[in-house]
Amino acid sequence: MKNTLRILRTEKGWSQADLADRLNVSRQSVNAIETGKYDPSLPLAFAIARLFGRSIEEIFDDGTDLAEAAE
Amino acid sequence: MAQLGFRTANRRYNFLFWPLMIVYVAFIMGTTMLVDEETAPLWLKVACAVGVTVPLIGVLYAMRRLTDETDEYTRMNHMKAMRDGGLIIAGAAFLIGFLQIFEAIGDFPVFWLGPAYFIAYGLSHLVRCNFGRTV
Repeated sequence: MKNTLRILRTEKGWSQADLADRLNVSRQSVNAIETGKYDPSLPLAFAIARLFGRSIEEIFDDGTDLAEAAE
Repeated sequence: MAQLGFRTANRRYNFLFWPLMIVYVAFIMGTTMLVDEETAPLWLKVACAVGVTVPLIGVLYAMRRLTDETDEYTRMNHMKAMRDGGLIIAGAAFLIGFLQIFEAIGDFPVFWLGPAYFIAYGLSHLVRCNFGRTV
């Protein structure tokens, strides 16, 4: 799943380790999420969203077109 | 058991793992040096076997607790590595068993399946972390 986590993290001047500490996860977890190798669970996605003051949809994009999905 | 986060879970794991390993090594060395297998009574041999096994069971518990307490990504990687290690060793056990049934090989010390499991688990974890996609 595409995400803007790396952009948001670098805007804050945080390293992957810094972000991992704030989220209470491993640095490898942060790397895996940023590179799209791993999709976080809902609780972790909420924690990420709250940390950056954004909604989950602003950070993660599963490629679904909402208009098409509604049809 | 509650998820405690990566650092705390690792700290708790190391706090249990290293003392248990020291006890294990001490027992191994002690029994090797102090117990004569040919003259020792049966109860002492059994006590030595149990004494060496207990810290290893403690390590297995520490691994189980780590997978409960660590973060979701680390938990998933460890669980998959444990699964793959278990499947590889189960396959090896079947192969060795059938080789023995068909009398293609002689006696095989079952003990070595234990270390083989940890080798398979470690290699699976290493390959997954460095080359795998986990989505």
